[in-house]
Amino acid sequence: MHRIKVTFRVLVALIIGVILHYALPQHDIVRVVNTYQERQDLNDWTRIFWARPDDQSATLVNRDVQFIQTVKKKTFLLGFVPRDATEVMVYRNEDTGWSWPFYFKFDTASLQTEADDLRSTPEQPKWAVMTHYGWRNEYFSAFPNAIAIRPIDGPDARIIPWFNIFFFGFLIVASVFILAMWMQFRERSIDPLLDSAEHRYDEVSADIAQQKGRLTRWLGTWKKKS
Amino acid sequence: MGFVRLVLFGCLALSVVYLSISIYSRSVRREKLENAWAEENEGSQDMDALDAFVAEGIKAYNASFRPKLIGLVYIIPTLIVFAIIYLTNEN
Repeated sequence: MHRIKVTFRVLVALIIGVILHYALPQHDIVRVVNTYQERQDLNDWTRIFWARPDDQSATLVNRDVQFIQTVKKKTFLLGFVPRDATEVMVYRNEDTGWSWPFYFKFDTASLQTEADDLRSTPEQPKWAVMTHYGWRNEYFSAFPNAIAIRPIDGPDARIIPWFNIFFFGFLIVASVFILAMWMQFRERSIDPLLDSAEHRYDEVSADIAQQKGRLTRWLGTWKKKS
Repeated sequence: MGFVRLVLFGCLALSVVYLSISIYSRSVRREKLENAWAEENEGSQDMDALDAFVAEGIKAYNASFRPKLIGLVYIIPTLIVFAIIYLTNEN
């Protein structure tokens, strides 16, 4: 039983962790190489890796998607430890509109223009911070969605993930609050019910004992008196 | 349509939060009132007096400004959404 409980908890924590890792904003230090636009088929299960900008696009089987090709600085530990090595990274650039994940992004065309403006060569690099969510996966043709891009002086800029700091702070406060609410509810609403149920059980068993006493006494009257 | 869906489900979720916090806050207040009464009238078993005292306290609480602050549950997330919309789309 204990093992099932632990497995269940680990599973729930893993699922929440995966969802947060997909949906929370991350920052990459990139150099924009090029941008392009390509028609994408949206009729299989990899549909989940594309946005649903509006209701029209939900029924389409294919549509044009804009992409931003970059060279990105590699990192360790979710971007906390910078490295000198670089890799290529391709971002998609889609509106998220009013749906999940809630970035409320409507400025795809402007972002594409900004990215175009920052295009540079390896000889004269222009570095920028790309804010994005999502995963790159070559086998599923999944691309992270670019949210914003801003130029920086050099590739060693320090990034402070303000949104994530506030988000996790809020998450901790909210869990403590929910725990306090649950404890109050249990103390004030469930425990008294259990107490009275226990009390009633005691009364009933006392009654039974008394009745049994009466019955035995009555039976006893039939016994032969020696 | 996406906007309507967001407003609808957002409203629903926030109403659940609002109701939970209201019930919790009132429950904490009630407990405090009971403890205050027990301290004042030690050893007393006069349950009618206790009920009257608690009812009076809850009435005062309902009339005070504190429970109205729970309405911020609707206002703050709306402001945050506006802030995110602005920050995402400004250039």
